[in-house]
Amino acid sequence: MKAPSERRGSYSLDDADDRTLAGRAADGDVRAFEVLVRRYGPMMRAYATRILGSSTDSDDIVQEAFIAAWKRLPTLDDGSVVKSWLMRIVSHKSIDLIRANRTHDDIDDHEPEAPDEASPEQRAVAKSREEALSAVLATLPAAQRQCWVLHEIGRYSYDDIARELDLPTSTVRGLLARARKKLILEMEDWR
Amino acid sequence: MTDSGDLDALFDGKSLDGHSIDELSDYLDRGRTPADPAIDSSPGCQIALAGLARLRAMSETLVETDAAAEPARDDSWVSGILDNIELEAHAGRDIPIQHSAPAARLVITEGAVRGLIRAAGDSVGGILIGRCRLDGDVTVPGEAIGVRIDASVFFGERIPEIVARVREAIYTELLRHTELNFTSIDVTIHDVHHVRSSPEEVAE
Repeated sequence: MKAPSERRGSYSLDDADDRTLAGRAADGDVRAFEVLVRRYGPMMRAYATRILGSSTDSDDIVQEAFIAAWKRLPTLDDGSVVKSWLMRIVSHKSIDLIRANRTHDDIDDHEPEAPDEASPEQRAVAKSREEALSAVLATLPAAQRQCWVLHEIGRYSYDDIARELDLPTSTVRGLLARARKKLILEMEDWR
Repeated sequence: MTDSGDLDALFDGKSLDGHSIDELSDYLDRGRTPADPAIDSSPGCQIALAGLARLRAMSETLVETDAAAEPARDDSWVSGILDNIELEAHAGRDIPIQHSAPAARLVITEGAVRGLIRAAGDSVGGILIGRCRLDGDVTVPGEAIGVRIDASVFFGERIPEIVARVREAIYTELLRHTELNFTSIDVTIHDVHHVRSSPEEVAE
């Protein structure tokens, strides 16, 4: 065993815990912020893609989220929760985009036209449960998918989703119920 | 089998003994407490709950799995973010420094002082400085200023010794570069960091 003093050089920012990094970044340390960008950027991108249903805008959303996060970091009192704090900023940015692009038709709970038929084939070739779940999620109408991702992954309450998406809470409950029924049925083979 | 009509029939009030999928999901969210005997004794509800629980387990890891499956990004993605952040955003208060020419106004920013504190603390080794706060009115010369530092240490370090060295290093650095009247340097160690040993270290 090497003595701790000989290994000190190996305790770099890349190894640092979130609270240390968030605290430094809040104080203006760009290198610490860069470590957070590398650590959580890919997950934030995946989350944005799940909410939006496509990766087209994910990079822009994540970039906007990090720029906003840099400004607001001094207001984050507990740096140890920086991961969920960043995820919340990404979902806000994604929702802003959904609201900006939304036409009245999107709120209707109709099934998307093409992907539904492709689902069984995609399920047949899916290598893992996650791939199967992805394939089924892709067949959900946009509003159902958004509600499901925000509730199940983002831990938004029904009221939060209703407020963010500008829908009545009863509508959110209905959309989530439909999404859950479909997902449970389609995922039966993957238990 | 999955068109809307069938979906409604499969999880309607009848097969769920009067309960709804919505209600069952809330029950699961609450950790199935307080126990609801009507739900717990209904075979239809139990089937639906098992399905919801499986979904929950998968959804918890979904974005992590997505992220892991993504090809590694090149650095332009990171630099695109870092090039767009406002570096002045964290400059903080202006701290005056006296100058022999009375007309000259010299200041060092609070952000720069925090940078000095981080560099001095890190230089001790085995410790990383986190958040740093200057308490007191730094814009008034001679005011009593307290320094509060959050830090994490590397596993195996003796915390009282390392904290003493950090306080000394920071105090020396601050005296050299500022005219502030530092009355205290408080260090909070919030984490002891374990780094996975490399194979040769395990073998030793």
